[in-house]
Amino acid sequence: MNEGCVPTKTLLRSAEVMHLVKARAFEFGVRGVEPSAISFDLAAAVARKDTIVKGVIDGIYVALRRNKNITFYAGRAEFTSAVEIRVNEVVIQADKTILAVGAQPAPAEIPGLKEAGYITNYEALSLGKLPASLIIIGAGYVGVEFAQMYSRFGAKVTLIGRSSQVMPKEEPELSEILGEILRAEGVDLHTSTEVIRVERQNGRRTVIPRRGDTEMRFEAEAILLAAGRIARVDSLGLDQTGVELDGFYLKADEQLRTTASNIWSIGDANGDHMFTHRATYDGPIAALNAVRNLDKTVDYRVVPRAVFTEPALASVGLTEAQARDAGLEVKVGKAYFKHSGRAKALGQIEGLVKLVTDAKTNELLGGHILGPHADILIHEVVAAMYNRGTIEAIAKSIHIHPTLPEVLKSAAKALG
Amino acid sequence: MNEKYDLAVIGAGQGGLPAAHMAANLGAKVALIEMREVGGT
Repeated sequence: MNEGCVPTKTLLRSAEVMHLVKARAFEFGVRGVEPSAISFDLAAAVARKDTIVKGVIDGIYVALRRNKNITFYAGRAEFTSAVEIRVNEVVIQADKTILAVGAQPAPAEIPGLKEAGYITNYEALSLGKLPASLIIIGAGYVGVEFAQMYSRFGAKVTLIGRSSQVMPKEEPELSEILGEILRAEGVDLHTSTEVIRVERQNGRRTVIPRRGDTEMRFEAEAILLAAGRIARVDSLGLDQTGVELDGFYLKADEQLRTTASNIWSIGDANGDHMFTHRATYDGPIAALNAVRNLDKTVDYRVVPRAVFTEPALASVGLTEAQARDAGLEVKVGKAYFKHSGRAKALGQIEGLVKLVTDAKTNELLGGHILGPHADILIHEVVAAMYNRGTIEAIAKSIHIHPTLPEVLKSAAKALG
Repeated sequence: MNEKYDLAVIGAGQGGLPAAHMAANLGAKVALIEMREVGGT
């Protein structure tokens, strides 16, 4: 709420409006817009974001105050034993604890980066002035969204990712198109490229990456590090509790219980599926297990995910390659937004829907959408997969014309 | 100063908040602790 979901989506909306007005208004028949006269006021966009975030935060405090069973403590928590937590001058005694500590950007391990100075997604949401140039290290969720955002704001953006594609875990075909779209908008994208060191001279920052044997140099005013997140556990005093980590994340079982029998952990800190909606799903389950001693287990079979670029990339379940690697006989159905009348009307014809099914049973195994409002469209697949639905639910049900979900239906029918 | 609770929830983000509210609604006395701003990332 403060440095992720809503703030980035708010600023991405500013980026979208800027792009529409500056690059596309003429195409839609709008006259009198002089692209060279248009500028972007980042401080104003940040102020809009802050107002929106404050409204949500105020609502959270109201709900907390209304709940008489909750006492809120503002401060750093530190375990002094498995059942005692110090916060400021108070020692909280609790037989049971739920850790909802979240994650933070992984520390900079690239030589010279710390000395040269860099920002993370947190600072990138509150800059008072637009940097003329920005190098983003990491081409996953955070890197890709900020690359498009800052490029559309007017910064010269260089995006560097180690993997051979942006959004490394997603369907290669969709990631490839998203990468090309970013390039077409002016993002200088370098995949299969690893940053080996960073230098700072005369106020300029130079990032030195390598692609194969070729060393490159990119200069910019600012560097944004977006290369992974780790559990936020420093100074929690976990050594007093028996709670163990597995690498950078907390160890938790299917009931969200940590290696300490009276402590549960939820959300990003547990690694995998590091999305807000997963934490929101985990929370009540951990509460039921802790308070009522239930043995409720989490079910991560169907966890959707999205990157909120334009077009957005959203997916759920297995990619085609993952399904084949799992030994399944797979069928794939595809449909392209360029054949959709509604997508044409919107002027958003890039991208496609790719559905992956079990060839024997027709059960949906995965859905992958790159296109307008993919983050919304994916939920038809989510609902079908949750019920272990077959492709017929999408292929045979009546879809409103003209709408974008018709593209999903076309992909499902292509499987028939 | 010592305060006794049935459950402590460390972190008032989008996971900690529903956990705390669910526990409280089940009747537990809950201490919710946050070192940054509520609402999480």
